[in-house]
Amino acid sequence: MLTYFANLSPQHRRSWGLVVAYVALLLAVSYVDFGYNTAGQTAFRGILLGMLVFMVASGLSLIFGLLDVLNFAQGAFLLIGAYVGYDVYTSLDAGTTVRFLAAIVSGVVFVGVLGAIMETGLIRPLYDRPVFQIVLTFGLAAVLLDLVERYYGPDPKQPLDPPGFLDNNFTLFDQSLSYYRLFIIFLGLTMMVGVFLLLNRTRIGIIIRAGVQDSEMVQALGINVRLIFTLVFVLGAALAALGGIALVPYQGATLEMGNQFLILAIVVIVIGGMGSYEGTAIASIVVGLTRAVAEQLSLEHFDAPVLAETSILLLMIVVLLVQPSGLFGREE
Amino acid sequence: MMSMIERTIYANTQKIKDPTLRGLAESAARLVLENWAYLLFVIVLWRFPYIVADLTDTEVQPRRPTGDSVFWQSEMARALALTCLAMSYNLLFGFSGVISFGHALFFGAGGYVTFIVLNEYDASYQQGALIVVIGITLILALFSRMNVRQLLIIALIGVLLTLLLMPGEGTLSFYQAIGLAVVASIAVSLISGVVTLRLRGIYFAMFTLALAEMFWVLAKSGTFRDITGAEDGLGFRDILPESFNPTPTFDGSRLDMYRLTVVFFVIVFIAIRRYLNSPVGRVMIAIRENEERARTIGYNTFYYKVLTMTFAGVIATLSGLLFVIWATDKRVHPEALSLKYTVDPLLNSLIGGIGTLTGPVIATLGLSLGETYLRNETFTLDTGLFGILTVWQLAVVLVVGLVWWLFRRPLQTGLRRVVDMVRRDTARAATFASGTHGHWALILGYYGLVVLLLLAVGLVIGSEIAHNLEFKGDVYNVSDLWELFLGILFVVVVMALPHGIVGTWNTFWANRRVRRLEQSAQQSAPKGNNSAS
Amino acid sequence: MTDYILEVQNIHTFIGEFHILEGVTVQVPPGSITVLLGRNGAGKTTTLRSIIGLTPPRSGQIIFKGEVIQGRRAYHIARMGIGYVPENRIIFRDLTVAQNLQIAERQKGDLDRKADFIFTLFPDLKRLYTLPGGNLSGGQQQMLAVARALVPDNDLLLIDEPSEGLAPVIIEQMMEAIRQLSSHTTVLLVEQNFQVASRLAERYVIIEEGLSVHAGLIADLVQDRDLIKTYLGVA
Ligand SMILES: Nc1ncnc2c1ncn2[C@@H]1O[C@H](COP(=O)(O)OP(=O)(O)OP(=O)(O)O)[C@@H](O)[C@H]1O
Ligand SMILES: [Mg+2]
Repeated sequence: MLTYFANLSPQHRRSWGLVVAYVALLLAVSYVDFGYNTAGQTAFRGILLGMLVFMVASGLSLIFGLLDVLNFAQGAFLLIGAYVGYDVYTSLDAGTTVRFLAAIVSGVVFVGVLGAIMETGLIRPLYDRPVFQIVLTFGLAAVLLDLVERYYGPDPKQPLDPPGFLDNNFTLFDQSLSYYRLFIIFLGLTMMVGVFLLLNRTRIGIIIRAGVQDSEMVQALGINVRLIFTLVFVLGAALAALGGIALVPYQGATLEMGNQFLILAIVVIVIGGMGSYEGTAIASIVVGLTRAVAEQLSLEHFDAPVLAETSILLLMIVVLLVQPSGLFGREE
Repeated sequence: MMSMIERTIYANTQKIKDPTLRGLAESAARLVLENWAYLLFVIVLWRFPYIVADLTDTEVQPRRPTGDSVFWQSEMARALALTCLAMSYNLLFGFSGVISFGHALFFGAGGYVTFIVLNEYDASYQQGALIVVIGITLILALFSRMNVRQLLIIALIGVLLTLLLMPGEGTLSFYQAIGLAVVASIAVSLISGVVTLRLRGIYFAMFTLALAEMFWVLAKSGTFRDITGAEDGLGFRDILPESFNPTPTFDGSRLDMYRLTVVFFVIVFIAIRRYLNSPVGRVMIAIRENEERARTIGYNTFYYKVLTMTFAGVIATLSGLLFVIWATDKRVHPEALSLKYTVDPLLNSLIGGIGTLTGPVIATLGLSLGETYLRNETFTLDTGLFGILTVWQLAVVLVVGLVWWLFRRPLQTGLRRVVDMVRRDTARAATFASGTHGHWALILGYYGLVVLLLLAVGLVIGSEIAHNLEFKGDVYNVSDLWELFLGILFVVVVMALPHGIVGTWNTFWANRRVRRLEQSAQQSAPKGNNSAS
Repeated sequence: MTDYILEVQNIHTFIGEFHILEGVTVQVPPGSITVLLGRNGAGKTTTLRSIIGLTPPRSGQIIFKGEVIQGRRAYHIARMGIGYVPENRIIFRDLTVAQNLQIAERQKGDLDRKADFIFTLFPDLKRLYTLPGGNLSGGQQQMLAVARALVPDNDLLLIDEPSEGLAPVIIEQMMEAIRQLSSHTTVLLVEQNFQVASRLAERYVIIEEGLSVHAGLIADLVQDRDLIKTYLGVA
């Protein structure tokens, strides 16, 4: 960890400074404006949101970094994960904990298989027509959304009870919260660390990082890069699905949440720098916090929480104008 | 055939004595001869209400009840609006290579901006707009590298537009509202262009998607019900001037409006064609082919892209307004800003043929009129098709065919691997239990187990499917499955027909012509030196 | 069959719609250094990339160790025993020197077996072992790129312009390393620097506008001033 900071390039060091300053500013504003407790609650919500966004964004970023495909179907993966998870969670006949685990496994596996089929069958033949790859993932996202709507109906699904072992409350900042929220944060952190270890400590991770720079050269070393491509695509899809399932006991399942998180994830990778893992992780938290604080601000001052929607876009515009390659991206 | 007619006509023009008249006749003849298919199409469009009326024995403009002709007039008019949307998308994506995933924003803005300003306008807006113009000029003066003359021009245009489109007293006219919608669309184009078009194309796609989604959410939200009407959208039966109101009971205005729609379509088509043939358009196509090279030659590719983006945005805005005017409930809904109106023009451009002029027209008209025509048809899985297959069998054939075709390479290698594996295992078992014939037992036992396992899994999945197939007797509406059909069509076109219908057709004929020419060249050329190619 | 380890027979390679190679024939006998000569943009790099399978030829034949390899996937070809050292010393900047070498392992333990050999050829790399590849100097990066191809047991090395942009001292060192290599494996080299090429290689093939126009022993070429002048523009 210390060596990480010691080896930082000047650009990244400045970006760290910016991030810390910005987050401090956000916290200060919310403290002054909302008071201690509400500010704390808002920050907590922001971190929670950041963790969920991270699960979509990390896949988006990894896939883009290695395959050079921006997977617009990433939101649809989250959506399908959520609905399949919801389906399993409500239809099984067992204790909540068992049902919850079953929901996670089935959702992740289902979406993982879907991702594998999509990558091998549809994306792979299009590597020499990259524009069509983007168009394809975008179109597929719409098609998948349609299918989910046909199959599960247009009405939103209500949040479900969290699994038994998490169905307790604790008090934080004067607010009673379900342990399930802590679980989401824990899950997000686990994924962050897990993927970090995968990228840095395993042979596959090293191949992925090498492939991000030059996949052709990796291939010329005798490594079946296409297989790694599929693997990363599946990993990204599975992470998004996991995020979707994690959302079910928290927010329920709605048709809109796929695109909602896709947009957040897009903003995250633009801010963090496309293809940079650390950037994605940091920007997820930044975006989550921004969103939560903006929501609270627009609620208190304009009684219009939707206005928070604009905050994300403003953030994106500012970053694109000031540092188009993102905070931790490589200059192009 | 055609060439004979051509020659006769040209020969006749030559008989005219007066040189000016002859010149005129010549160009008229060329215009007609080169565009006869387009002209025919426009005539059919123009006469469409009457054609339908004749075919269905209904009236073009009945009092009540309305008949088929009236119904198809609206359908055709809406389809034409969508066609213009698709053409504008194709201009951007197909001819310029700029991928926008937020085109719906412009489409929706057509209705929303027009009616919001009509509803909300009051005279104080004029001063506000003037202040904005001054502010923008100041910002540009401070932060951009424009010189005084450019700044003055910008300020002048801004002031003129304000005075033209925003009355200082009284209310806004409908035309001024349309003008404001166009201005808004241009402003959005410029902003998105400045923010992202200098970067890699993918940034533009992401940005426009986020922008459009944001406005969709805002339009849907109940918070701004006073302004946007939330899910109910904005209605405008009363605001609309009579000449724009295609309500069936009005005398005359409905047919006029239909004709106006056709005229709009023709103008858009010609404008895009002209644009592409203009120097700007040609640079644009060069950029699509190779942006790096266009930049090296010295073109400011950014400028051309923003220009095209603006042009396409304005067309989309006007199409959106037209679409709302022809909507059955005369309201603009949040749906107009949703992904649907980005995906549809994308799909139509792809199916028709990106980078072709007529492709989006054919695909949009075909698909949207086709959907209307089939919308209320029903079928069951056992309905026979063409007397050979049932729907159910066709679906199985299609799915299996699609899966095989998409996965043919992995499946082939997989099969080869399995065969290899069996062969290897047999050999290994043979050495392991050589001479005792026991190896056959080993192999049978091993593979028997594997086969049994596969069978079990297959049975479970199979019975699950069979169980779910209880819906076999159910009756389906075509419209229920229309989107699924479009989705499959989309995948097939992207994977197999990247040039769409028209593009594939054109390449086919072009290749044939080239082959013919080569053949005739080979025949006429002296033998022995045809190695150069 | 033949006594060549690699035979490239009349290959035609396209990049997009551009016809880049219009008939290249190269024959490489085992245990020697063969050099591809030709002007800038003649198609030397494309020839190497065609062999390894990164730009597969559309027609013609490539035979490596008696097996037809064109049309196979690049990783498959590499695994048959071909190491590729690309132009412009492409190493993985974000990975450490150690990881750059590890990634080239085809079997576990490849690197352990070869480490000593690699460090005797390029002693610098031992010192830089834990540094990110991006921090290395140009010459060191070139050494790493060559070393990477040495990690697995390769029967043929394709080396593209190893001396490009290097200081004379480093070039000497690199040449020495390649000479030592060639006692273990066969080398197909692309080299613009005719001095370097003529001192290293035994055989040459000249490529001109996508066509192999001349081949033979380098010793004969050195005598043939006219030929050198016509095709290479140096005298
Ligand atoms: N992606 C590409 N698109 C179009 N043409 C290309 C592409 N890559 C290479 N070429 C062309 O192919 C030809 C051969 O290129 P190649 O890199 O093989 O030459 P080379 O002999 O290695 O040259 P150098 O000595 O400069 O490295 C050149 O004319 C080059 O312009
Ligand atoms: Mg080269």
